[in-house]
Amino acid sequence: MVFIMQASVIAKFYSWLTLLLFAGSISAVQASAFNIPSAHITKIGNGHVLNASINYPLSARVIEALDNGIPIVFFQELELIDSTPLLGQYWAWEQTLWTTEIRYELRYHALVEQYILSDMATGKQRYFPSIEGALNTLGMIRNFTLPPEYLLETNHLILRLRSGIDLYALPTPMRPGALISSKWKLNSPWTPAQWH
Amino acid sequence: MALDFIKRLSAGTAPYFSLAALLLTLAYLLSSATQDSSKLNDLFLVIFGLGIATLILLVAILARSLFRLYRDYKNKQAGSRLTVRLVSLFVLLILVSTTIVYSFSMHFLHRGINSWFDVKVEQALSDSLELSRTAFGIRMRTLLRQTRMMAGLLSELPSQNLTRNLHELSKLSGAVELSLWTMNGELLTSSMENMVILIPNRPSETIFHQLETQDAYISLDPDKNNLQLRAAVLLPAQSGTVEQRFLQVIFPVNDRLSKLGKTVQEAYTDYKELSYLRKPLITVFTLTLSLIVLLTLLASIWFAIWISRRIVEPLQALAAGTQSVASGNYDTQLTVSRHDEIGFLVRSFNQMTQRLTQARNATEQSHNLLAQQTNYLTTVLGSLSSGVITIDNKRFLRTANIASSNILQLNLQQRLESNIDKFSIIVPDLLSFSELIEQRIMLGESWEQQLELQKKKGLQTLMCRGTRLPNNTGWVIIFDDVTTLLQAQRNAAWGEVARRLAHEIKNPLTPIQLSAERLQHKYLPLLPADQSGTLTKLTNTIVQQVEAMKNMVNDFSDYARNPGLQLQLQPIGQLMHEVLALYQSNSAHHFTLLKSPEDITLDIDSVRFRQILHNLLKNAIEASESATLAVDIIVSYHLLRQDNIFWLEISVRDHGPGIPLNMENTLFEPYASNKTKGTGLGLAIVKKIVEEHGGHVWAENLAPEGASIIIRLPMEGTSS
Repeated sequence: MVFIMQASVIAKFYSWLTLLLFAGSISAVQASAFNIPSAHITKIGNGHVLNASINYPLSARVIEALDNGIPIVFFQELELIDSTPLLGQYWAWEQTLWTTEIRYELRYHALVEQYILSDMATGKQRYFPSIEGALNTLGMIRNFTLPPEYLLETNHLILRLRSGIDLYALPTPMRPGALISSKWKLNSPWTPAQWH
Repeated sequence: MALDFIKRLSAGTAPYFSLAALLLTLAYLLSSATQDSSKLNDLFLVIFGLGIATLILLVAILARSLFRLYRDYKNKQAGSRLTVRLVSLFVLLILVSTTIVYSFSMHFLHRGINSWFDVKVEQALSDSLELSRTAFGIRMRTLLRQTRMMAGLLSELPSQNLTRNLHELSKLSGAVELSLWTMNGELLTSSMENMVILIPNRPSETIFHQLETQDAYISLDPDKNNLQLRAAVLLPAQSGTVEQRFLQVIFPVNDRLSKLGKTVQEAYTDYKELSYLRKPLITVFTLTLSLIVLLTLLASIWFAIWISRRIVEPLQALAAGTQSVASGNYDTQLTVSRHDEIGFLVRSFNQMTQRLTQARNATEQSHNLLAQQTNYLTTVLGSLSSGVITIDNKRFLRTANIASSNILQLNLQQRLESNIDKFSIIVPDLLSFSELIEQRIMLGESWEQQLELQKKKGLQTLMCRGTRLPNNTGWVIIFDDVTTLLQAQRNAAWGEVARRLAHEIKNPLTPIQLSAERLQHKYLPLLPADQSGTLTKLTNTIVQQVEAMKNMVNDFSDYARNPGLQLQLQPIGQLMHEVLALYQSNSAHHFTLLKSPEDITLDIDSVRFRQILHNLLKNAIEASESATLAVDIIVSYHLLRQDNIFWLEISVRDHGPGIPLNMENTLFEPYASNKTKGTGLGLAIVKKIVEEHGGHVWAENLAPEGASIIIRLPMEGTSS
């Protein structure tokens, strides 16, 4: 009798565990992350420029925070890697040559009812009556000049990029919740750009 | 391994202080991490995780401690109940106080944070924002109308003087900047109030999008420092021009208005942000507070268990010590490690056990002394020839020494705790003994009396003394068998009489005899013949009587003298035959020697032994003859064992008239005979010789007729 009860308890525990994992996977699927559908490097004259577009499908939680006046910081990271294949396609020696990060702050201005997108490096601001406009502008990387000193030989070079929300820039009380919540985990994977 | 770690953690005092330090550090870190401007902000989750890990560790340690407590309680270990009671009390106190503090803190936390927010304030802020918007809206509509008019004017003016016209319009309208654009985003011309700026502000994509569907656009733009109004209006289509153009005008906003608008906007945004952050803020504070409270609670319970154990530990030792003392181990000593009341208790316990040990040793010593004295007394009493018995007031026998059993010929050791009246049932001879004691005890005083017991072997004389025991608990009765002593005294008296008589009588006898013979010799020839016969008869009578007297005196001498025994190993059978052979001459006398083992030898004086036999046979013959009965004498001898000693028993039986009842006790005393013949010393001499050999002699009457004299001689050192 005791054994059966124990077994049933264990079964219950496992069913709960499965349910939890399943629920987790569903939520992960639902909150679709940022993604980079296209990234191209084009040679113009002697230099190389990057053109890329990034989709920012924001979760309801992020939009709610924005509407409540919380500024959201987006980052776009670029990495230039020198990859030397050692074991064919299985393993390569990778050396990071250059990295950069572009940071934007998006916030809602209640008085003018506009979204303000600021380049945090230059302080340049742009205004959008709708969030979609702001995100579209944010997702467009147009003719971003790459450092020419690393691009003399582009054979083994990989340029990869990713984008996401800087959770550490959120106000303190929100940070722990955001750090453990899947609704704030929207970072795109590292995506390599294509050379043209 | 984890268990070992926990075990090591929960031993000694160090872990408690480390834990306290860890908890304090954690609490400090947690509170710092929740501060807005702290560097530990980003580490909040890590510190929180650390707190959770500590919590789990504490739970494990606490579970182990509680389990140990439960196990001790279940096994009913000494002190476990007190520990459980103390722990329960502590836990209750901790729970109640912590719960009160926690709930109040929670209440204040919620109230504190919620008190920042107010519906009226929110409404006021929202209204002021709306007011600002409305105020700006009116101005925006006016400016849009103005821009429309400017666009209409521009479309009607010739395109050659466009730049100049723009400039004029700029001056008239008070705009900061005027620019004319094509829908492709191409700048046609512009006019800036500030001459330094060459390139006008490019319209955003939104403007282009909106102008594609509508003819005008107006917005309030938050510039870096001030607000500004941006209006864009399509120029009315002109014939001849294909390209669609629009005018963008940027108006400045009044400084004061701009500042007010900005203040309202900032206040509203800050309030909204704060309001939005209220929930996570409360959550973070609640979590932090809960974690700290939980950690404190668990640590306090752990500490409560530890302190309870520490309090109960010496009591446990005391309980164990008491049990040990109860089971007889008086040497138990506990270690005194404290200087409080419990320490005092332990010291008192140690003193008590020391005293107990001393008392026990003293008792043991006195017990040993008593045992020694009892042994001593028993040995003394055992070696006494006097019988010593103690009885209680109801005459139940309490103690008896060996001599008492021998004297009374009853094993008294087997009859302890029985009434002495019952002895006479087993041995009827003892009736007078018990009667005497009963009578004397009733008088209640110490007494001394001689008592004669009628025994089979003759009279036994006891000298009895009774003394009351201390505290009136009974009586001690001492008795001596004085039969032999009295006999010896009597014998000695008789011997003295005999010796003196022999000496006094023997001296005149020879002159009397000689005088009688001389009388006969001198005067017989002088007397006539008829008288000489008379003289001869008289003198002969004198001589014969003197001779008889001499014999009698010799017998007295024999009885009185006490020569040393000439002991030699003699075959008894042979001696018997030799003596009996001397009596075969008279055919009327009939002797029978019963068949007995021939080879019995005994250490005896053969001359005196023969005298015994002669005296006995003579006595038997004379007894039968005096009663004119046939002389038929049976002699027998055999071995027997009594009191672990082998005895030679010789009996001489006749078929005479038996011993008169009045003579039974005095038969062996001198001059006890009722016979006409003899000196009356025969049996007395027999008794004397037998006693000299260490034996007894007594007489028994036989049924239906006759008597038997029985001699018993010890066979010590002899073999059959």
